[in-house]
Formats: sequence, structure tokens, C-alpha cells
Amino acid sequence: MKISLQWINEFVDIKSYMTDPQGLADLLTKAGLEVEEIQNKAKDFQHVVIGHITVKDKHPNADKLSLCQVEIAPGQTAQIVCGAQNHKAGDKVIVALPGAVLPGNFVIKKSKIRDIESGGMLCSFKELGLGEGHDGIVILDPAAPVGKNYAEYAGHNDVTFELKVTPNRADCLSHYGLAREIGCLINKPVRKPEVQTNFSKDSTKGKISLKVDNTDLCPRYCGRYVANVKVGPSPDWLRQKLESIGQNSINNVVDVTNYVMLEMGQPLHAFDADLLAGKQIVVRTAKASEKFRTLKDLEIVMKGDELLICDAEKPVALAGVIGGLNSGVSEKTKNIFLESAYFQPMSTRKSSRQHGVDTDSAYRFSRGVDPSSTKEIMDRAVLLIQKVAGGEALGDHHDVYPLPVVKSAIQIGIQTITDRLGYTADAKLFTQYMQGLQCEVQVQTGGQFKVTPPLFRFDLSTDMDLVEEYARLHGYEHIQEKIPVFRSEPAVHDFYYTESQKISALFRGLGYSQAFNYAFISQKEEATFIGEPDAIAKTGLPTEATAATLLNPLSEELNAMRRTLTFGLAQNVLTNVHAGNSVGKLFETGHIFSKKSDGYTQSLRASLISWGDEIGVYKNQAPHLYQVKAAVEKLLQQYQITSYSWLQAGKAPAFLHTGQFATLVVEGKNVGFIGSLHPAWLSQKKIRCDVAVSEVDLQQLLQGQPRPKKFKSLSMFQPVARDFAFVMDAKTAVGDLIKEVKKVAAANLKQIQVFDIYEGDKLPAGKKSVALKVEFQSFETQLGEAEIQNLTQKIIDHAQKATGASLRQ
Amino acid sequence: MSNSQSQAKLDSIKESALKTFQAAQNSTELYNAKVQFLGKSGALTEAMKMMVTLPKEEKPLFGKLVNDVKAELETFYAEAEVGLKSKEIQAKMENEKLDLTLPVENHPVGSEHPIHKVTNEIFAIMARLGYALRTGPLIEKDYYNFEALNIPKNHPARDMQDTFFMDETHVLRTHTSPIQIHSLENEKPPLRIIGTGPVFRCDSDISHLPNFHQIEGMCVDENVSMSDLKGTISYFVKEYFGPGLKTRFRPSFFPFTEPSAEVDCSCPICKGKGCSLCKQSGWIEIGGCGLINPKVFEFAKVEYPKWQGFAFGFGVERMAIIKYGVDDIRLFPQNDVRFLKQF
Repeated sequence: MKISLQWINEFVDIKSYMTDPQGLADLLTKAGLEVEEIQNKAKDFQHVVIGHITVKDKHPNADKLSLCQVEIAPGQTAQIVCGAQNHKAGDKVIVALPGAVLPGNFVIKKSKIRDIESGGMLCSFKELGLGEGHDGIVILDPAAPVGKNYAEYAGHNDVTFELKVTPNRADCLSHYGLAREIGCLINKPVRKPEVQTNFSKDSTKGKISLKVDNTDLCPRYCGRYVANVKVGPSPDWLRQKLESIGQNSINNVVDVTNYVMLEMGQPLHAFDADLLAGKQIVVRTAKASEKFRTLKDLEIVMKGDELLICDAEKPVALAGVIGGLNSGVSEKTKNIFLESAYFQPMSTRKSSRQHGVDTDSAYRFSRGVDPSSTKEIMDRAVLLIQKVAGGEALGDHHDVYPLPVVKSAIQIGIQTITDRLGYTADAKLFTQYMQGLQCEVQVQTGGQFKVTPPLFRFDLSTDMDLVEEYARLHGYEHIQEKIPVFRSEPAVHDFYYTESQKISALFRGLGYSQAFNYAFISQKEEATFIGEPDAIAKTGLPTEATAATLLNPLSEELNAMRRTLTFGLAQNVLTNVHAGNSVGKLFETGHIFSKKSDGYTQSLRASLISWGDEIGVYKNQAPHLYQVKAAVEKLLQQYQITSYSWLQAGKAPAFLHTGQFATLVVEGKNVGFIGSLHPAWLSQKKIRCDVAVSEVDLQQLLQGQPRPKKFKSLSMFQPVARDFAFVMDAKTAVGDLIKEVKKVAAANLKQIQVFDIYEGDKLPAGKKSVALKVEFQSFETQLGEAEIQNLTQKIIDHAQKATGASLRQ
Repeated sequence: MSNSQSQAKLDSIKESALKTFQAAQNSTELYNAKVQFLGKSGALTEAMKMMVTLPKEEKPLFGKLVNDVKAELETFYAEAEVGLKSKEIQAKMENEKLDLTLPVENHPVGSEHPIHKVTNEIFAIMARLGYALRTGPLIEKDYYNFEALNIPKNHPARDMQDTFFMDETHVLRTHTSPIQIHSLENEKPPLRIIGTGPVFRCDSDISHLPNFHQIEGMCVDENVSMSDLKGTISYFVKEYFGPGLKTRFRPSFFPFTEPSAEVDCSCPICKGKGCSLCKQSGWIEIGGCGLINPKVFEFAKVEYPKWQGFAFGFGVERMAIIKYGVDDIRLFPQNDVRFLKQF
């Protein structure tokens, strides 16, 4: 909210701060009202003065520039080059002299423009930061005094604050309200503005009748009739004051309602009384699908729970939010009905939100306005309306307030403040602060107090609220620093978090950098990437048919929750390759989401991706897919998982290469996949290198972890190694052969190593040779030649039977 | 054969052997030379066989002469062998020299994403104070994200957090504070927890990501005060940003704490002197905190005032910006390896 210090000064004396606005800003910030920006026009416009163009010539070296002699002080002339076209000799203009600093940190210096000296700049409103239009330089009134500082001339001698008011401090959403707070902070009296107290004998009630049907949503409604007003432009003082804090002037009556809202915090609405059908106001709940056109010419259709202000026939305002196009004050208006009410905060906010109508009025009502000054503030506006638009204020006003709001008293002990703040609170100070906040304070025995806050302090209802008020007014700097004693039993950390850290360390060691992708994605793009979700689901990664969508996404690019991590990492590869990172490895651990009948679930996944052309000396590194496979196997090893296999069967997910894809089977369950990205996808994205990925379900994988580790004694017997060279069908998986060997050797197996794979001239076409080194070792006995012979023969027989492999001759 | 004759014979063998030994170019030649003179059918062994032809009284002397020559030759051989072998190993090593300036791996060690790095650094500090790490669902019930945190429906405090909705009752959590409620519901006080993870707000510009991260702490115990809170945060600030840095509280408003405060620490870059990061103020805003609002305990069914508590929260991206000087928040979700490698 924008605050004018001169305006504040009308209610509380802050003259001493006019030259030290930073001091006041610090004071407010320290009290919880953060000043985000200080604007000081007088300071901004130093060295910006009124000038008089005495001579205007063409620039000798440039067609589009003019060369002006400008009187910048009586009897003192400067030569200025100007690019604008709208000025002539004799004009009064705004001149930024050397030394001036214009918005955007634009420093004005003496300079040469096309070889001609220029001692300043003739300014437009835009260059001064005072408006958007760029219709050339500003031409001032011919009577403007030469040499006078422009800020002083134009009344820009105010300082304004951009104040951040937290939702609990509705009482500070006005100049008077803020002045009241400052009065308490600097301990100075606060003046109330003048209100109208003289009314004509005519009756408001006689002109307009009032019926409030819903007093829950409208606890108080006041109205007064002002006859024979003259609607027209606002006088300068009113217009300038509104403009100084960024408000547009509309007409004198509407300007007064806005002015009083900014002054007192009470939103008001003026109806054209002659447009109210049946000469009546009815405050009632809307009917569903009832239509209403706002004064911004937007039609809204009611849901049925909004509060409406109606006349005999139709809605004339969405209560507390916005008036209607059908009944607003215009140039033709003669008589007005002025509304000042207290609408229930949450209901007003709901009306405003569900129809997307944000107004200063709704903002204030939804935070809470003071229900005790509804009538008084109405008459403040009446006074000003009569001042700027004339007219006759009628007596016998409306005031429907069946159940006056009462603020209940808060019981608090000084010891509570001491305990919660951690330092000794002072009872006298407490009383002083509470009274400064206009609370009623009843001092009781034993350090107890009964405190009744004023009605405008919606935020004060419990003892802790008063603890905060004490701390705030005394200063948070008084809070000491102390490390609390640790009395709780140390708890264990979240299992998945700590395991994710270990997994992260492993993958980093293997060269993979950690990535973070948004949890939401483009539903359309992900769906295209994923293809048939069932193919992923079959690898052990449950994947919903469609991604769970957001109701209010930022954009189509981020409109649904991800179903796979691979999609995000594939996008990252794209970004990297396009950024020139031709080789790289990334991993991510994170959640994927699914919508269930009773809500949403998330599941923890890990995904790896490796891409790039291995060139030159790196050429003999394993292909990316094997590197990724090795990384996943190391993950399994880290968790002592030895029983796993890679199943190269079934339909590959749409984004994977059909020949380079396998499902990871751990202890009989599918838990994820490895694969290379589909060549069609790569070519579409113009990625000219291999990209290998893996995604595994960490929740499945980590089940039962950490497994108890049990020591197994070491074999005391010598291992015996035998080499086998099998010839088999080139298409048969080596894994199948190894599986057979494992089965046969069983407890006598130490390890199997594949030491050569050969396909070529020395073998028949379609055949390959696979050389295995098998080491046997028993835990019970030294294996003798006969036993080894027996095992060897069995291996050969089984391999033959299961895979068709035969020993190479 | 006379003694002098045998002497001369032995001298000639010795001379010839030494010459041959010296001429050996490598250990193999040397060895062959050794066999030639000292082997089973070597010259010296042959000379020894002459002993049988000598008269009995000359045999001892001859035997001694032969042994002397043998010992002398063996000593010579041993020394020559050491010399040659060491030369040969030297030559072998010269030959086997590897170019260790050659790059060997195309994939250097991977790095931790700065978001996770910062989270873990903060977590490690808080863990020392006994805080246990907790996470929670990213798609939250409205109740946990708002209502139980004293942010009722249609309350203006909801304006403070632009919310993504999944449906009528579910939102993408706008902060990590729902983790507090889950913990209060599922665990028994006294307790200390750190909650962390991604959070979401419909806000995307040069300084906001719609999906960012928070880390927050909660301590519930008997007799908890603002001093305990300030002491805890001050400890954290000094551990994380460096000794000597000061902590400042400013009054603020969060519906779930009362009193509430914004936390500033003296700028770690300029140590409070004023720089561009702290906009010349010497202070950096790092988060929010306060004593847990009794209404939150009421929602979570924790007995109050027997139990009280404090809570504090930081934005992880902001911490990374302060700690590592990252000047563009949009780099975090891009995962450009040139960026990631720096952490």
C-alpha cells in the first residue's frame, strides 16, 4: 500500500520525520509494518527546474535535432540540444540541469551532441518517471516561474512509502489507521478528521427505504441521502492527493468515496439514488444463476451464496466488492445514496475470489473494517462530498446494527509474557503499551490483567496476541539468545531421505550429477513421450493411464503431475546437448504421482541418464547402456541384493529402443528398466548420440532394507578354475548360459567371468563363441580332480540342453 | 704336472673367465659365461678333474688354489650381475613409461544438486541439535496445508500463498509446514524435527520458481520461549554462514505462529558493511519463525499449554543464492551440467 507522509501528518505530527523518512521507515519496519520502498520526489527532482525557451534554431549538424537557448534562471541562459518536435520559442519547459539524476539512474551531464555543446535536457513526463506517454517534452503553463524547482512547482514535495501490511493488520490499511499506529510508536496524540454533523430536516428514510435480510453477512448497514449534488471533476487538492499515491481521479463524488477509504479504511459506495428502482435498498443473499453487471462492465453469474445489495428489482452491487453499472454515479447524477457498511470478512473474500473481482474495497472488507465507526466515517464522506460537489445532506439516516459487535476481554498474566519471551516483562510498560493501542486495561492482583482490545484490532483475541504486541512495541532486539536444553529422545531420520542420500553418493561416485526437475510437466508432451503406460507398468513401475492434472496450472507446459522421472531427464539431455554439453550423466531421485479414488499417492523413484559420443581415447569405454546397467547393479550390490536378473522380453516402453531394453527383476519382482532412448525420438529432437536411461522403483527396492548382515566364514580350501569356450546361437543371451552354470555349480561356485565373446570368420554364420572362466570352491572339502571333472561334464551337458551351446572344438 | 704348471693353468682360466664376464652385455650373456667357466662342465670344473693326476701330497694345495679362483669368480659374477640387472630394470621401466597427462575418463565424479547440497548442509547442522528429518506428501489435503495451520477457508492469509489446486480438497503443498502437523499427530512430544522438500506456488518470474524448496524446523517441549528460538537460529546462522554473524528478528505475521518474526542475518558477503546482495543494508532476510500458535496445537490435539513450541523455515533456493552467489534462480531446474559441476 502506498502511503503519503504529508497525509499522515494531518493526523499525527511527524514533521521531524519529513526530512528523515528513513527513520520513520525503520521505526515501522521494526514494529512489523515493513516499508519496502521510499519515494522522495523532491529529492529525485533536484536540479530539475522550469525553463523558458528564448530561441529555437535548427541543429547545424542534424536535421532532427533542435538547438535551444533556454533561460534556466532569471538572467541565466543555457544552450540545450533537443530531439523532440513539439516545442517552440516562448514555451515554458522542464529542464534537467547537469547534476540531476533521473529515474533509471540517468545522470545528466554537460555533453557534446554532434559537436554542439548541450547544457542539460528538456524532459518528457516519461523521462521524469511521471507517466507512460511519450508525446514529446512537457510544455508548462506560460505563467510557470523560470528557475523554480519543478517538484516544488508541481507539488511533488511529498515522501511516499510502499508499505507491506500483513493480513492481520487490517487496521493499518488507511492513513488514519497508520497514523494511529505511529502515534502509539512515537507516543504522540492522534487527531480525528472532521465529520458532518449538520443535516437538513428532510429524511433519508423518506427517500430510500432499507431492508437487511441477512444480518450474519451484513452485521451493520448505514446510509444517507445527499440531494442536489453537482457531479464534475474533482478540485486540484483532491485529484493531486489521490494521484500522489497512485489513484486515478474519476469524478468528485467517486473520488471522495475513494479518498475516505484511503483516509479511514472504510470502503464506501455512492449510488445514483434516482436509479434505485422502488426507492429501496434490500441487502440479501443472491439466488443461484442470478446475473449482475459490474461497473467495469463485466457480467457475473451468482453461485447463490454471495451477498447482494439490491433495489426493488435487481442487484445494484456485489456487497463489499463492486458496484453495478446500472446505478453508479455519473455526470447526470443529481441525488446520491451513500452506503457505509460492515460486511462479514470471509463472505466478502469469497465473493471477490470466486468471481475474480479484486478491488480495494474487497481487500479491506475481507481483512476486516471497524464496525464501530461505520456511521462516523459515512459522515466524514458526506462532509467532503458537500465540500466538493455541494448538495444537501439529509437527516434521519439508516443504521441497521441489530447485534453490535463486542470484543471480549483477554485474561493475561505478566508471567506469561516473561515465559514466552524468555526475559522479564515489565508490568508498567505492558499497561502503557496496551493503552497506547487503545485497549481497555484492568489491572488485577498477582500480575494479572484483563485487556479489552479496540474493535478495529481484529487480530487481538488471545493472550499470545498480547505477548506479541508487547514484544513488538518493546522491540524484538530485547529477545535474548539461548540454546534450549535437549530433552526429547533422539528420533530416527526419515528412512527414504537418508537412503536417497546414500544412493546419491553412489551415483555421484560413478560420475552422475544430481538433477532436480519440476514435479509437474506438460500432460500432452509427457503422454506423447510415454506412449502406452502399460508398457512401463509391466517393467514394475506402476504408471497411471493419465497424469493427475492441476486445476489452475501456470501454463500448459506445467499442467499435470509427472508419472515418470525419465521424461524430465530426457528433457535435460536436450537442454544440455543444445547448450553444447555433448557428453554427460545425470540422475534424479524424486516422486511420481498418481490419482486414486481416495486421493493421491506419490512413489519414490531413481532415474539415471547417460549420453554423448565417446571419442578418441575414451572410445573403448563401455557403451552408455552398459554403463547405466553397471550403475544400477552397483546400487543393488550396495543393498546386498544378489538375486536379480535382466529380462530382455516384452514390449518396450514407447521411448525406448526395442533392441536395447531390459526389465530389472529383483528377487522375482519387476522393479524397473534400463534402455537406450528410441532412435526416432533422438532424431526428432536432433540428438546425434546414444542416450541410455534407467528408472527404478526405490520403494520396492528398499523394502526390507537395511538387511541384517551376517558373517559367513571363509572357505579354507583352494579354488580350482576351469575355462570353457562354448559355441552357441548368436541370438541366445549369455545370461541364459550363465544361469545354467550357476545352477549346476551351486554351492561349489566361487565366481564366473566372461572373458571373451567372438563372432566372425572362424565360426559358422549366426554363431558366437562365449568363453567363461569358472572358479570352483567348496566350503567343506578340497575339490579333487574327479569332482571337478564331474562338475565340468554336468555344466557342458546342461548348457547344451538349455541353450544349445556346445564346447568349441 | 707340477704345481707351477697347475698354477699357470688356473691363472689362465681365471683371466679368461674375468675377461668373458666383463664382456657380457646383459645378464643372460653373463649367466652363459658363468656356465662356461663355473658350470658342471665348465673350464674350472674340468681343471678340478686334473686333481686325480696329482701326487697325494700336492692335492690339498691344488684344491685350495681351485677354490680360491672359484670364490673370486663367483664374487665377481655376483657384482656384475647386480650391475647388469639394475640397468636392465631401468631400461624396462624406461620402456614401460606411461603418459600420465593423458585424460583417462570422460566422466568425472558427479556433483550434488545445489538445492540438495544446501538442504543437507542445513540438515547436518540441525541434526547435531537433535532434530530428526521428516518429509511428507507433496499433494496435500487442504486441511494439512491450511486449516490445521490456522489458515481457514476464505481467510485473507491464504492470499500470502498463491496455491495450485488439484481438486476441491487437495493442493500442491505451498510450504513444508504441513509436515509439522503430521509430526504432531504421529509423534509424542517432546520432539524436534526438520521438515524439507519441494513446495509449490503459482508464481513464476525472475526471482520465483513455481516449484521450489523449503526446510523448516519445529521444537515442541515444555517452557519454550522466543529466546530458545533466537538462540537456535543464531547457532544455525553462525554454523552455516560463519562465526561472528548476527541474527535479527523483525515482527511479522504467519497464521501458525504467534509471536511471529522474520529472520535477518548480517550479510555473509560483506559481513554487514553493505553490498549489492544485501542492498547496502548489511542484513539479509533468510526466513520466518515464531512460537507455535496454540490454535495449531488445538488442531493437532496436542495438550496446550503443557506443551509449547517454536518453528522456523528457510527457502532453500534463497540459501543457495546467499551461500554460493547463484545470480539466476532459473538455473536450478535447468540441470545444465556446466552449472551442476560447480557444486
